[in-house]
Amino acid sequence: MTTKINIGPIHPSTHGVLRLVVELDGDTIVGVEPHIGFLHRGVEKLAENRMYMQNIGYMEKIDYVAPMAYDDAYVAAVEEAMGVEVKERAKYIRTILLELQRIASHLLWLGTMSNDLGQFYTLFMWTFRDRDKILRLLQEHAGARMFYLNMRPGGVVRDLPPDFEENTLQVLDYIEKRITEYEHYLESNQVFIERTKGIGVLSREMAIELGATGPVLRGSGVNYDTRSNKPYYAYSELGFRPQVMFVGDSFARYKVRMLEMKESIRIIREAFKKIPEGDAVGMPIRLIMPQAKNRIVTVSRETPRGEAFIYMIADKERPYRLSIRTPSFINLSLIDEIAKGSRLADLFAILGSLDLVMADVDL
Amino acid sequence: MLTFSTSAIANWLVSLLSSASIVKQAEGLAAYAIGVAILIMAFAYFLGWIERKIIAKVQARHGPTVVGKYGLLQNLADFMKLLAKSNFFPKSSDKLLFAVALPAMLALSIFLILLLPLTPSTGIGNMANGLLIVFALFAFMPLLIFINGIASGNKFGEISAQRSVIMMMSYEIPMLIVIASIGMLARSYDLVNIVESQAHIWYIFLMPLGFFVFFVAMLAELERSPFDLREADSELIAGWLTDVSAPYYTLALFLDYTKMFLGSLIVVILFFGGWSGYGLLPVFWLVVKALIFAIFVMLLRATAVRMKLDRLLRLGWLALMPLALINLIVAYLLFVM
Repeated sequence: MTTKINIGPIHPSTHGVLRLVVELDGDTIVGVEPHIGFLHRGVEKLAENRMYMQNIGYMEKIDYVAPMAYDDAYVAAVEEAMGVEVKERAKYIRTILLELQRIASHLLWLGTMSNDLGQFYTLFMWTFRDRDKILRLLQEHAGARMFYLNMRPGGVVRDLPPDFEENTLQVLDYIEKRITEYEHYLESNQVFIERTKGIGVLSREMAIELGATGPVLRGSGVNYDTRSNKPYYAYSELGFRPQVMFVGDSFARYKVRMLEMKESIRIIREAFKKIPEGDAVGMPIRLIMPQAKNRIVTVSRETPRGEAFIYMIADKERPYRLSIRTPSFINLSLIDEIAKGSRLADLFAILGSLDLVMADVDL
Repeated sequence: MLTFSTSAIANWLVSLLSSASIVKQAEGLAAYAIGVAILIMAFAYFLGWIERKIIAKVQARHGPTVVGKYGLLQNLADFMKLLAKSNFFPKSSDKLLFAVALPAMLALSIFLILLLPLTPSTGIGNMANGLLIVFALFAFMPLLIFINGIASGNKFGEISAQRSVIMMMSYEIPMLIVIASIGMLARSYDLVNIVESQAHIWYIFLMPLGFFVFFVAMLAELERSPFDLREADSELIAGWLTDVSAPYYTLALFLDYTKMFLGSLIVVILFFGGWSGYGLLPVFWLVVKALIFAIFVMLLRATAVRMKLDRLLRLGWLALMPLALINLIVAYLLFVM
């Protein structure tokens, strides 16, 4: 006999308004059915009624943990529609900022995941403290802590502040030390290992078949990262290497993200060495100014959660149609496949390892 | 064993009733009970504050600072706020059991503290089998959690109730084996005798293994991290407390710290020489030792990752049980034979 329980939409571990109908046989999960749509804002439709430059603010709210990633993806789509080249220095600046954003996002994920595993908010507080240092850096550049609005077609809103490099390198040293520490704490904790290793295994074949993206895909042993497979900005010059683990369990996904943070730190350091001088400022905000030809544009960008894919039919002043494939939505759809057969307590270790942002799922 | 103890209670009651100074005795008892109740409340209140502060320090926060000096009155403010809210029993709940279970648990834990000897001459049940009686009654605790969980009519409460019973299966037997080895060392189940037999060396040094087993079992009994499976907040929302509304929730919070006090007292009496210390009042040493133990448990809560149920069962039967048995045999060979 099975019982059905409702987890969410109000529940401490669903990170937002996710509702899972879980079918349980004793303590074993028979099936998980996600119900979504509680945070649907209709971003795609809203975008159709606004000028190109007005949409950036909406795009940022798609993923409030890593707003700059969507900011960038949308602006890249606009650039392609308008046929604008990104300035060389701006490419490096974008790479640096996006990787900083990735570290911030992964730090938040690390805190919430350990929270899901029953850690009493300790790691959560620590990672939030570290993340705040990055937010302050981004604030120095963009003027805001969360919603930056700093991408402009052709470049960024302004050049990096004069002491940005020095501050960033300091913060990176600090964060690298902290990440190594957290890794040591977690991986020497037998209970953490037991709760993640061998839990929620997603095989390589299933990962490809179900369309998993980002760290979830790379945790299952697929060497695919938009940053290296469809290189953009300065990634190919910086020698970016995608991080891959082969087991496909929660621990592998955790490890991929930890390695990714270290890789991001390496890339940022590299970028500061190679960053060229010159102009980096893009177009100013003017509602009428961006004029695009009527054509179909596709852009894919590696957000911290996976590959975000934008399909835009450009019109003259505004997108005729904007369609966004968000990574969280795809990764959430895996939950039934990978949670089947595990215990109820494991469901939260699995959910945590998928790194879902509900705003990203519901769009 | 239990027949002895029941007859002891019966004898005590008979002597109480037949004695001429029955009123005087009752007065003495009542005064003692009130004194202990004040001690419990003060300890529970202070423990609540200290837990907030300690966990905040671990997490690089300040904890409560605004209400009162060092935030000492924060808990009082929270308590008042919760009491001011309305009570509510869900439609699907068994209202009688739901209303009774939590107060019963609180009453039980206060009664158990009254049974413990806080000084050589106090404690209501100065009887031959005090230790056994305490643990016989202590075993009601998971049962009452089960009742509360089922009676709440909530599925999370139900899962929590099931977990409670399964957890009990895993830690209760090793705990009782350790208790048997303590009784063997002290040659008595009288709590006063147990403390007095530790005058030269505490039992934690004689039976470190036994202490470890007892400590783990006690953490599980007290629902402390990493064994807080019953009210696992990231999984079961609040488990058996999910549908408990504000006034009852204050009881639950109070119960939490009362149980913590009870557990620390039991550990101190059994392993850390009870009230033995230099100078000052004996009860002072007892409370200070209990406080140190409680702080240690809090530090665990700030750092540990929650264990899974099946893992706890394996731990109980494949690790704690053999360890408890080894401890029993070693203690017998070294100190009794």
